Amino acid sequence: MALKILNDLQGDLLKIRPQSASEVRLAVLLAVGLLGTAPIQVLAGQNSQAQNPPTQNQPAQTQPPELKSPGFQEFADRAQKYVQLHKSVEATVPKLKTTNEPELIVGHQKILARKIKAARAHAKRGDIFTPAAKEDFLKAISSEFQGPQAPHAKATIRQGAPLKTVHLHVNEIYPVSIPYTSVPPTLLQRIPKLPDELAYRAVSSDLVLLDVKANLVVDCFRAVIPIEGTNGQ
Amino acid sequence: MKLRRRFFLIGIFLLLATAQRADEFKFPLKPNSVRFAAIGDMGTGDQPEYETSQQMNEQRKNFPFDFVLALGDNLYGGHSPADFEKKFANPYKSLLDAGVKFYAALGNHDDASERFYKPFNMNGANYYSFKKGNVHFFALDSNYMDPKQLDWLQKQLESAGSNEWKICFFHHPLYSSARKHGPATDLRLLLEPIFVKYGVNVVFAGHEHIYERVLPQKGIYYFTEGSSGQLRAGGLDRSNITASGFDTDRAFMLVEVADDQMYFETVSRTGKVVDSGVIQRQQVASAVKP
Repeated sequence: MALKILNDLQGDLLKIRPQSASEVRLAVLLAVGLLGTAPIQVLAGQNSQAQNPPTQNQPAQTQPPELKSPGFQEFADRAQKYVQLHKSVEATVPKLKTTNEPELIVGHQKILARKIKAARAHAKRGDIFTPAAKEDFLKAISSEFQGPQAPHAKATIRQGAPLKTVHLHVNEIYPVSIPYTSVPPTLLQRIPKLPDELAYRAVSSDLVLLDVKANLVVDCFRAVIPIEGTNGQ
Repeated sequence: MKLRRRFFLIGIFLLLATAQRADEFKFPLKPNSVRFAAIGDMGTGDQPEYETSQQMNEQRKNFPFDFVLALGDNLYGGHSPADFEKKFANPYKSLLDAGVKFYAALGNHDDASERFYKPFNMNGANYYSFKKGNVHFFALDSNYMDPKQLDWLQKQLESAGSNEWKICFFHHPLYSSARKHGPATDLRLLLEPIFVKYGVNVVFAGHEHIYERVLPQKGIYYFTEGSSGQLRAGGLDRSNITASGFDTDRAFMLVEVADDQMYFETVSRTGKVVDSGVIQRQQVASAVKP
């Protein structure tokens, strides 16, 4: 009913012939008012001006040939050996399935971490990030943070607000107090892919190799990621 | 006399216009439409999270949504069993008891072990997809956008129907005018070309503790809803891409996809509607599939 009255009224108003400048202004105001009462705001599918447009329309980068370099190969081999150990340990604990019981999830993670730590009690920094591997990682990271992608990569690190003074250690549980700083996704295209059990994490200026199922630090490469106030070298 | 009649008509018109504006937006609630809510950065376990979830319950009386997209930072701080209870199971108990499903994405405060928590419906994966009616959802892990995930996304989008809505959700916004973090431009470099190529329609993200609707970018609609538990009051620095925003209280989104229209409403903790509208499903000129 209200809509009918409104429509009738709109019809009446449209029939009024403006006779002066003030009436013209009034008519314009009413027209704006009529538009403003559109029952539902239908959003136009037009593009707005892009925000801080980066170099867009670039396809996802392909893996650069440096991934086959000896240092990266050595890293990949050692990471694979770690995964073998992880799997052999995991086979000794009850398989984790999706569950409504957080106790089972937390318990599984703790047991797995404890057993892996015991299985590689003598593990030390550099076991997987070997000197040769570090050389290749350093090249890839330097290239990422100095090349055309640099502003975006730096922004990704900045977004994570990394704590400058935190350094994790091998066989340490990743602390719940430290949110993840994303490793720049364009950097992930330049460094070796990891098996599902492992992930790279940026912690402070360190590149950390994390066992994601056990939430355990597997290895660290110190002071390699440039963060504010750090040159990463 | 004629002039008085006109003023009378104008007065009546303005009254009606005001009255109509108050309830100008209505969900169509069509049979078989896809109805959901979206929340982000909620897992604090603090009072505002509980109050926001209570408001979701209230809204559900009139808008019976079936599931919720959780846009990351589902659990802040500790991940002990007590944390799962305090920061998720308890605040959303009424919704969970009513059979509302949650589909979670991982944020930078989330432990990867959350993917094994059944109520998050991640089935042990940190990225996954699911279908509801004519909508295909893609949950991504924006903490770790490695080549494997990108390959997976492209294959999933390629195999999705050309007449389906394609909605991606993840934690870090590709476009944002918030003061704290700003847009994840590095992520955008990799994801946006894929979204455009395969005709993604809408993207939901969190991370910034505000609400923002961004003007379409390359034809794609972007929403940031990261204030369902956390809040950064005054954290939105409106820019030339901001279509609408809200940064003075917690909020969540309600969405109904009915055929080729997506109706949305953003509601504050106190029940105030702070944004609403309708999106027409975009035609995908560059879609791979005919």
